[in-house]
Amino acid sequence: MQLTRDEQEMLDGSQGEAKQIAMKGLVQLGDAFDAKEMVPIGYAHIYAGLPMYVHDLELIEDLVALGAKVAVPSTINIANADIENWRATKAPENLVRLQASTQAAHSKMGSCCTYTCTPYWAGHWPSWNMHMTSLESTVTIFANSVVGARCNRDGFFAVYAAIAGRYPKFGYHLDETRRGTHLVAVDVDLHCTSDYSCLGFYVGLMVGNGVPVFTGFRRRPTLDELDALGAALATSGGVAMFIVPEVTPPFATAEQAFGGVLPGEAVVVGPAEVNSIYERFSTGSTADFDLVHLGCPHASFQEMKEYGEMLEGRRVKDGVELWVTTSRAVRQMAADAGIVRALEKAGAKVISDTCPIMCHFARTASPDPALGIVPPPIRSVMVDSAKQAKYVRDMIQCDTLLTGTREAVQAALTGSFHPRRL
Amino acid sequence: MSDPAVLPALLPPLPLVFQGRGIVMGTGAGPALVALEPISFFGDVDIRTGRVTGDIPSVRNACIRGCVLFLPLTRGSAGAWRILHQLQKHGNAPAALVIRERPDPSVVQGAILGRIPIVCGGPLEAFDLRLNGVWTEVDASSGRVALGRA
Repeated sequence: MQLTRDEQEMLDGSQGEAKQIAMKGLVQLGDAFDAKEMVPIGYAHIYAGLPMYVHDLELIEDLVALGAKVAVPSTINIANADIENWRATKAPENLVRLQASTQAAHSKMGSCCTYTCTPYWAGHWPSWNMHMTSLESTVTIFANSVVGARCNRDGFFAVYAAIAGRYPKFGYHLDETRRGTHLVAVDVDLHCTSDYSCLGFYVGLMVGNGVPVFTGFRRRPTLDELDALGAALATSGGVAMFIVPEVTPPFATAEQAFGGVLPGEAVVVGPAEVNSIYERFSTGSTADFDLVHLGCPHASFQEMKEYGEMLEGRRVKDGVELWVTTSRAVRQMAADAGIVRALEKAGAKVISDTCPIMCHFARTASPDPALGIVPPPIRSVMVDSAKQAKYVRDMIQCDTLLTGTREAVQAALTGSFHPRRL
Repeated sequence: MSDPAVLPALLPPLPLVFQGRGIVMGTGAGPALVALEPISFFGDVDIRTGRVTGDIPSVRNACIRGCVLFLPLTRGSAGAWRILHQLQKHGNAPAALVIRERPDPSVVQGAILGRIPIVCGGPLEAFDLRLNGVWTEVDASSGRVALGRA
C-alpha cells in the first residue's frame, strides 16, 4: 500500500504508540482487501466498550493509557446499561459502574459519549462523499444510503480509523462498489416504519451482501422509514448500502444505479412477503408477554413525538412493561418538549444508552463471572422492529411478537397482542 | 448436499496442499473442521464454549476450539469482530480460518485482534466434510495450507 509521509510516520511510531497501533491495524486491514492507499476520514462512529464481555473495556482503556486521541469527530455506540436511569431496567449496579467508566475513557480520547446506534438523530451527520467509519451496521447503511457518505461495515478498527484519521480505500469507499446489484420491485402500500422494517428484512434475506435498488414506492419514504429499512437490510443480510432512485444520492433513475442497464429479474415484494416477516417473528403467546419495546434503532425525536401522541392521557395496563429506547440526546430533546413526562405518566419507561438486546437481558454475552450478572427470565418480547426481533431471538433467546408501532402501543394499553398484516 | 455415491472418487489423496491468499498473517495448526454453509460468528458461535449453536447443519454443535475451520463465506452481523476477539479471550478460538471468499471487514478486524490467521481461496475439494479431523497446517504469510501429515 502506498502511504503518505504522515501515514508512514504514524506507522513508524514517530507520532506516538497509539497512532502506531492504529496505523498498523489499518495497514493489515488494507492489505487484506488490496487497498492501494489510505483516505482521510471525516467522521467515526466507534465502539463504547461493553462490560458484558470480559476484557472488552481493556481494548479502549489500553489505547487511552497510551495517550490515544481521536483525530476526527467521533461518536460512540450503544452500551450495556442506561448509565443514568439504570434502576428503571433493574440493571446490576456492578455492570452500570463499569459501563460508566467508559465515559471517562472516551472523554479522555475526545469522543462524544452518545451511546447510541442512531448518532444522526443526536445531531452527528457525515456529508455526501465523506469517507468515514462505523462499527454499527445501522449507521453504515444510513450513511452510505441516505446521506451518500462512504463507509464499510467495520468492527473495532473504527477506533483505529478515528485515532489515525485514515481508512484504507476499499469496499464502499470505491465508486465501483456503490452501484446496484439487485433490483427490488415493491408492489405493496407501506404505512409505517414497521412495514419498512419487514420489507428490509425480507430483501436482506434475498440479496445477502448486495446493493438493492428499490422501485415502486407509492410515496417518498420518511427519514424514519429509510432508517428502519436500512437497519433491517443490514440485519438479515450483510447489506451496507441501498438505493432508492430520486430519494437517496446520487442516482435519479434505476438504470443509472445499475450503470445503464437494468437486471433482467427483480425481487418482487408484495403484501405476502412483508407479512411473512411479521409472521416469522410472531411466535409468542398472544396474551402473555413480559415486555413491549419501541425504539429500535434508537428513536428519533419525531418517533418520540409519535409515541407521545399515541400514549398521552392513556395508561399502560397493569403488569405490562413498556420500554421506549432512544439516545440520551434525543431523550433530552423529548424531555424539553414535555414528551418524556407524558410517556412516563402513561406508565412507559424511557430508557437511553441501551436497549433490550444490549442490556443485561442478553444470554449470549459473557461477562466476568465476578460481576454476578444473571439474565432475568423472559418468555416473550413484543417489538415493532425486525432487527430487534431477530436479536431478541438470538441473544435473549425467547419468543417475539412483531407488529406495527401503533399495534404494539395498543397491546401495551390493553394487554393483548394486536397483529399487523398488510 | 452432495450425492454420496459420487463423492468417494473425488476425495483427494492426502496430503492435500494448496496455495491460498493469506489475509490475516500468522500460522496455525489443528484438525480440520469443515462447514458447508456460511457462518455468522455473531449469533452462530457461543464464545463461552466455542460451540456452533446456530443453524449450520454441517457443523451444528461442533466445537471450533483449536480447529482449522473451513467455511465457504461469512455472513451476518458486523458484530463478528467481537466474537472472534472473545473466542480468543475465552481460550476457544480456532487455530486458523480457511474461507473460500474474502470475509466481511469486521471478520478480518476480529481475526487480527484475536490473532487468528486467515487464508482465503483454495480448491473446492478442500471443502469436503470427509476431511473433518484431518490434521491441517496453515501458514498465512505464504498462503500455504496443508491437510494431512506429509
